[in-house]
Amino acid sequence: MATVEASVSGNPDDVRFAASLREALGVAETAGAIGARVTHAELLQMIVATAVHVLRARAGALLLVDEDTEELVFEVAVGGSADEVKQFRVPVGHGIAGQVAVTGQPLAVSGAAEDPRAATDIADRVGYRPESILCVPLFYDDEVIGVLELLDKESGTSFTAEDIGSLSLFANQAAVAIEHSRVRSSLAALLRDVLGGGLDRTLESDASAFATRVSEDPTSRDALALAQLVPEIANAGEREAQACRTILEAFVGYLRTRRQ
Amino acid sequence: MSFTPAYSTAFDPEQLELLKALLPMDDITPEWAWGGATGRGVKVAVVDSGVDADHPVIAGRIAGYTAITVSSTDELSYDDAPHEDASGHGTACAGIILDIAPDCELYSVRVMGKMGGKGAALVAGIRWVIDHGIHVANLSLGTTKRFFFGELHALTDEAYFNHVTLVTAANNFPIPSFPCEYASVVSVGSHATNDPFLYYYNPAPPTEFGAFGIDVPCAWKGGGISKVTGNSVAAPHITGIVARILEKHPSLTVFQVKAILRALAANVARSAA
Repeated sequence: MATVEASVSGNPDDVRFAASLREALGVAETAGAIGARVTHAELLQMIVATAVHVLRARAGALLLVDEDTEELVFEVAVGGSADEVKQFRVPVGHGIAGQVAVTGQPLAVSGAAEDPRAATDIADRVGYRPESILCVPLFYDDEVIGVLELLDKESGTSFTAEDIGSLSLFANQAAVAIEHSRVRSSLAALLRDVLGGGLDRTLESDASAFATRVSEDPTSRDALALAQLVPEIANAGEREAQACRTILEAFVGYLRTRRQ
Repeated sequence: MSFTPAYSTAFDPEQLELLKALLPMDDITPEWAWGGATGRGVKVAVVDSGVDADHPVIAGRIAGYTAITVSSTDELSYDDAPHEDASGHGTACAGIILDIAPDCELYSVRVMGKMGGKGAALVAGIRWVIDHGIHVANLSLGTTKRFFFGELHALTDEAYFNHVTLVTAANNFPIPSFPCEYASVVSVGSHATNDPFLYYYNPAPPTEFGAFGIDVPCAWKGGGISKVTGNSVAAPHITGIVARILEKHPSLTVFQVKAILRALAANVARSAA
């Protein structure tokens, strides 16, 4: 952990990367929480696009683990001929992405174009054979839920150990956003199933109106900003979450006694 | 009648074994430890994605195979027919080991592949290593699933007590991963200097050693050479070195192997003998 954090804090680019990522994911999470139209698919797209942009890669892809079939499901591609990408699956353990999903270990491989079989799974889908690949796992709750893969640096150089550190940090934050979004998506789907299609539009417009009200009301904005901090603290670890809870409970307790 | 506390018969004066001394730490040299060795007679297992025996770097030097799969009902099956490498990763590790210890007896223990890579297969892979008289195993993999913590811990302890050196790649993530965090294994991180015999000792474990692991030219699936970065390609350097050490000093325990590795680490000062 120290190594990753040290490398990130030591490099201004990485600091910027981590900051812009945190901001982007924070906005997406909050927007999702108040019902704005950031769908699960858009969130995945944004994660890959942000990683590709900040690490200046030519292309990127995100695959999520399907636990039932033990496969990686290709969800999003950015760059290359990404528009033509169709969903496909690779067995966990197969290829570089499958390897990373099994071992939970990031891997950077260059000279990959010399080795068609190793890169075929992803490279064919984005329309070209990469020279270098960087693949990191997406961890949530100590489980690999997917992998994030970048293909080729724009500069033509290989991915560095620092890139591994940055992308790994990014992946940690992205995985949390993905899981939260997935839960929200399935809750929304469940609601739709239960309430039927007729009510869906009402719910959505209610949510949208709420979002507008919130964005226009300074008090709500502050509350939202505060709410946004909580998942970040919770994701920092059990002890941090406990400390945060203790402090907040003490403060709220004090406020309650003041009101009485 | 005298009473001997449990586990103490080995220390009864009549039972005590007289053992050979190693050299004093300061007198240990690379020449003494591994000079001229090629890993001959040492059984090395690559517990990974399989090894591509047809790769020019491997050149058929596989002494044996086992592919372990776990069914949907959690039944294990073992196939000792020659197998392919599912990802390229196992071939990369095997190539590095054979480069350092070209005459070792190399076994491919495939625990991940087209049938996935369950933690249960990893457990079975280490079990296989212990049961088949392997001397040193390369584990450039692990699991983050807490469920396996106890079982893997017991198993790596068993390997330790059977003098089987397990070399693991340190996890790159700030979350617990097993077995690389156990004291019974040799855990390896990465440095960038292209020298297979150059490694460092880290006095702040669990990652005790750092070997060449950044932009490492590796045999990769399909016959080519790729440059790979990750702790998983650092670990095989230590595995290869241990194979050479065990050829020259076959009866070493795991703690002796670690002590010799530490004595010869590039950042450990030695007296000017």
